[in-house]
Amino acid sequence: MLKKIFLGAIALGVIGALGFGVYAYKSPIDPITADQRDEFDPDTVEKGRILAAAGYCATCHTAADGPAYAGNYAMDTGFGIIYSTNLTPDVETGIGSYSPAAFRRAMHEGVDREGRHLFPAFPYDHFTKMTDEDVDAIYAYIMTEVEPVKTVQKENKLPFPLDQRFLQAGWKLLFADFGRYEPDTAHSDAWNRGAYLAEGLTHCGACHTPRNLLGAEKQSQQYAGAEIDRWSAPALTAANASAVPWTAAEFKTYLIEGTTTYHGVAAGPMGPVVHEGVRELPQSDMDALAIYLADKVGAADDDPARSDVVLTSLQRNQPDPQYRRDLGERLYATACASCHYNAEQIRQGRPDLGINSATNMEEPNNLIHVILDGVNGPEGISGVVMPGFRGALNNNEITAIAAYLRSNRAGKPDWPNLADTVADIRVNGPTAH
Amino acid sequence: MGNKLLSRLTNSAKPVDLSRRGFLVSMTAAGVAFGFPRASLAAMDPAAADGIPVAPTGETFEPSLWYWIDSEGKVNVNIIRAEMGQHVGTAIARILADELEVAWENVNITHVDTAEKWGLMVTGGSWSVWQSWPVYRQAGAAGRVALIEAAAEKWGVDPSTCTAREGTITDGTNSITYAELVSDGLTRSFTEDELKALPLKPHSELRLVGKDVTALDIGTKTNGQAIYGLDAKIDGMVYGVPLLPPTRLGSSVTSVDDSAAKDVKGYLQTLTLNDPSGTVPGWVVVLGETLMAAKWASQAISVEWDAGETAGVSEADINARSRELIGDASAGAILHTETPDTTSAFDGAANVIEAEYTTQTVLHFQLEPVNATAFQNQDGIWEIHTGNQWQSLILPTLSSALDTPADKIVMRTYMLGGGFGRRLNGDYTVPAALASKAIGGKPVKLVFFREDDAQFDSPRSPSVQKLRMAFDVNQQVVGMEHHAAAGWPTGVVVPSFMPKGVNGEPYDPFAIDGADHWYSVGAHQVRAISNDLANQTFRPGWLRSVGPGWTNFAVESFMDEAAHQIKTDPLEFRLQHLKAQGYNAGSAPNAVGGASRQANVLQKVAEMSGYGSTDLPADTAIGIATTFGQSRSMPTWTAGAVKLHIDRKTGEIDVQKMWLAFDCGTVVDPDSARAQCEGAALWGLSMALYEGTLIKDGNVADRNLGTYTPLRMIDTPDMEIAFVDSTEVPVGLGEPGTTVIAPAIANAIYSAVGVRMRQLPIRPDDILSAING
Amino acid sequence: MIKFQINGRDVSVDADPDTPLLWAIRDEVGLTGTKFGCGIGMCGACTVHVGGRATRSCITPLSDVAGTSVTTIEGLDEQSNHPVQEAWRNLRVPQCGYCQSGQIMQAAALLQDIPDPTDDDIDAVMTGNLCRCMTYPRIRQAVREAATAMTGAQDNG
Ligand code: FES
Ligand code: FES
Repeated sequence: MLKKIFLGAIALGVIGALGFGVYAYKSPIDPITADQRDEFDPDTVEKGRILAAAGYCATCHTAADGPAYAGNYAMDTGFGIIYSTNLTPDVETGIGSYSPAAFRRAMHEGVDREGRHLFPAFPYDHFTKMTDEDVDAIYAYIMTEVEPVKTVQKENKLPFPLDQRFLQAGWKLLFADFGRYEPDTAHSDAWNRGAYLAEGLTHCGACHTPRNLLGAEKQSQQYAGAEIDRWSAPALTAANASAVPWTAAEFKTYLIEGTTTYHGVAAGPMGPVVHEGVRELPQSDMDALAIYLADKVGAADDDPARSDVVLTSLQRNQPDPQYRRDLGERLYATACASCHYNAEQIRQGRPDLGINSATNMEEPNNLIHVILDGVNGPEGISGVVMPGFRGALNNNEITAIAAYLRSNRAGKPDWPNLADTVADIRVNGPTAH
Repeated sequence: MGNKLLSRLTNSAKPVDLSRRGFLVSMTAAGVAFGFPRASLAAMDPAAADGIPVAPTGETFEPSLWYWIDSEGKVNVNIIRAEMGQHVGTAIARILADELEVAWENVNITHVDTAEKWGLMVTGGSWSVWQSWPVYRQAGAAGRVALIEAAAEKWGVDPSTCTAREGTITDGTNSITYAELVSDGLTRSFTEDELKALPLKPHSELRLVGKDVTALDIGTKTNGQAIYGLDAKIDGMVYGVPLLPPTRLGSSVTSVDDSAAKDVKGYLQTLTLNDPSGTVPGWVVVLGETLMAAKWASQAISVEWDAGETAGVSEADINARSRELIGDASAGAILHTETPDTTSAFDGAANVIEAEYTTQTVLHFQLEPVNATAFQNQDGIWEIHTGNQWQSLILPTLSSALDTPADKIVMRTYMLGGGFGRRLNGDYTVPAALASKAIGGKPVKLVFFREDDAQFDSPRSPSVQKLRMAFDVNQQVVGMEHHAAAGWPTGVVVPSFMPKGVNGEPYDPFAIDGADHWYSVGAHQVRAISNDLANQTFRPGWLRSVGPGWTNFAVESFMDEAAHQIKTDPLEFRLQHLKAQGYNAGSAPNAVGGASRQANVLQKVAEMSGYGSTDLPADTAIGIATTFGQSRSMPTWTAGAVKLHIDRKTGEIDVQKMWLAFDCGTVVDPDSARAQCEGAALWGLSMALYEGTLIKDGNVADRNLGTYTPLRMIDTPDMEIAFVDSTEVPVGLGEPGTTVIAPAIANAIYSAVGVRMRQLPIRPDDILSAING
Repeated sequence: MIKFQINGRDVSVDADPDTPLLWAIRDEVGLTGTKFGCGIGMCGACTVHVGGRATRSCITPLSDVAGTSVTTIEGLDEQSNHPVQEAWRNLRVPQCGYCQSGQIMQAAALLQDIPDPTDDDIDAVMTGNLCRCMTYPRIRQAVREAATAMTGAQDNG
């Protein structure tokens, strides 16, 4: 998830100071007390629960081992560390004093109740596309179901002037495109529903769209793929490097089960997206997301099971009695093949590493992450674990395995600087899941 | 190894003297091992999920200390051998049950503790069945005779009219079960002479020996219930992990700083061991409440050592020392071959060939890393719970380490997660005992992680051998010399057990067996040389087949070289020299037939493999070799053939099939015999092609599977194994299969692509550079 | 406290979350059928099932299995009569037996995914499991036999 997002910075010189000051000013909205809060009907609350999950609110607003929604989750933005805020209905330290209007303004405009600009680590630039009704449902859910928790907000660790919140207004002016989602009549209702979800609530672009130097998504390169926490969020466009093209059906399986037969598992930042998030949505929404994403990737509908690329990969995964000639191949045969080998067809749950996204992408990062730290119970295929080899294999050995998979199994050109990337990710990559 | 040595190892004049203790036929309660508050801790039944041996019901009849029969007809056979995959208890119990005439379903086994009454306890050398055969047969016969006599007396008939089958005695009219007889109570004792006169069943009447029965240890080995040393659990035990000094010997601790370990939850303390036995000098043991607490703490502790002298020693240094010693004619012991003086043979030779063979250091890498749990029980007895192959060897060492009389120490032998000779050397029990002693006798479970196990291994020594052969003008072989230098396991661990050569020098038979072959080659000198540098650097170990693993590589490669030299087919050449004459004619009881039986298995394997066929594809060949397994005193006639293909471009070896033929006398347990031979042959293959580490900076370079690469399933070729039908004395099978594979491979490579590989392991790169000249 | 299921029973283990599952199973839960060989995921002696899939427990931190369901050799079949175990006994596969828990767990998982494996399939999957006694020929044979027993059983029922 959004473990590390961007922080809006601002080049002051770009903007006329006066006009900027006017733009930046937002008035406070009156606080409310707990008694003033409306009662919500259970359907709305349930809808809000699902939407809150699919927007991963809890993921970023819950600290490791901390109470749900109570904030203080540390995000290393690359510009500095910021701590998420308390989203529980606590009146003093949470959002208990927010009226529905204040909450809507926060979601749609990135401004808190007191009128302060929020850092764009909070993806209001996506949530702005959500309908009032959906935003209100989330509000209803939080106010009704989330336990109020009193917290002490941790201080962000940002250098001056990035810590100046009013400057965020300038960032917004430059990069945010406010307004609700407008359906595209050239596409079906389902497609539009998918686009509404992906561009708004589930904010796929937050990870999959590259950002500019100031941390804003480059709209011209929507879904072109980006790096997050030293993981690679693959392109969700025709540039997607998958050996086997995605299909709508694969997207749907992936978003529900965290795995597909032909691409791999949802690990790293994508783990919670699936397992704590989108899979909560109703089937029709999953279909809609799948249709939308498949269109973005330009997917065909063919069954890949007997495709050349799959058959070739299966051929290459056959055991080779001379497996000892190459260190990577030997280690793979002894440490990896027992789980990754496939017989006549690729079986979901035995990821074929010849066609897996991790071995076919331009960057080796995801593969290295998974070799080092594995995939834990909640990630990937729920309840299934891939152990990590951090303590078992040295950098040279991991490099050898990755190089073998890349050239002999995926049949792709060698990754440049592979050994350095392994060393870097071992030391600097996040080790916690 | 001669019988003389064996008898020294077994502390008796003849191996059968094991029987002296075995024949006080009388009625006693089952002997409970001494010193144990809980009898269950004393011994181990591999068929029981909790390991607790079966208890007798009602009266027992204990015709010898090797077994009892209870009033339900249950039989419990006491086994002094360690179970490490040979199903040894099953083999031995079956020998006894067959003579006793009881049904297999009623037979249980108990692996006993180390109480003195059991005598010498060692499991190695492929000796177990061979040594147990006469003892347990007579023990069984004694019980049968006693029971028959009791029945005959009851019925007032002549015992000779009675027969026993499956625990029931009949005389044609009456019948009674052993159970009933035992319930009635019986006493019977035999004089020594009576014991010797006991009638043993003829081979044709054996009903269990040579037949397939289910091994008693198989069930618990398929459901996780078999209990190995690592599974030992003692109330209140703490865990220990070692911090190993830079050299095996001669290092001492100069400082220990555990301040960084204090934060590790569950860390207890760090011990610098004081070892009066000198087994583990310079050792530090880290204790924790859990194993990982100890492990993590050990990673945070810094220890400084004064390193021993061998800290810089490499394998090349050791081999250089071997060559130096081989060059010194006064070094080493010359064996008692028929004509050890080869001077005139070589002086008068028309032609002499000579070759040097080397083999690399090999790790045991038994799958269960060594470990031991030690504590002092409430009776003041030190208990050592572990898997071990030679309890009698380590007990005196433990006694000196603990500064406690040996009879105050007892070992409980668990299942071994692989022995292969590693656990003949019980050195790993010493630090466990010392750690426990340092904390007042509280239980300590000392666990070696794999890297520690490898570093502390007693590896197979690297070896250098020089062979020479002299031919006369008619191309006849008139003399042979074999000079073999290596580290000596017996030399470093039990030097007093070494026999002396013709020149009065002691030698380690385990480091030279095999060189004293059964070929008639005229004058034959075999010289065994101890490499002192190897012995100081590491503890040379007995590793599956020990010396025969390298001596036969040299002998059988060299026989091939010699055959090619005089343009004779290698099979033909061997057969010409397996003449069974003089010294090679063989003798009773163990080597009846001598070299003729070796020629027989060689011919058999040649037929099985189609050796000599001319229609093999290019760069493909079958190589052969023959050995006599372990030693001249108990030869297991062995022959092997390997078919392989060499890729000339890469040097890669494709081993396509292996054939083996054995004549081991009577096959007691056919299925286990086959299993042992399969395993041994694959070990041979593994050591020929895939295993081999190097001594580097005074230690073995490879410590785990990232770099140490033993044979795995995909490397396993098809095999065909045959046994010669025989009623001769059963000899061992644990090791012989290992000895023929490497030379057969080297010989096949030569036939396939014309290059002679004289070093083990043989790697593709070596073949490639040999092919490319 | 890390909670998960083992052989169908709920357990909570109070151990450092970084503790390898192997040692938690052996020393905390007290099931010692799962063995330790290399500690680096290269011998398979420690193989258990997590979520029904063969998993090397020596390199799996306890924290990773929170909420999952783990099966060890002791729980593969209540009566120890899983077809793989039966085949193992019929062919007397084990020698020292130390690797066999891992072999059996790996083989059982193999047959779930590939019910009718070829020799190549068996080699590919089982090569990760080291057997120092070299019982490989029998393991191969036993996997085949178990496959026949299992597919036969399905056909009949
Ligand atoms: S102990 Fe886990 S794979 Fe070796
Ligand atoms: S049976 Fe001993 S390691 Fe496999």
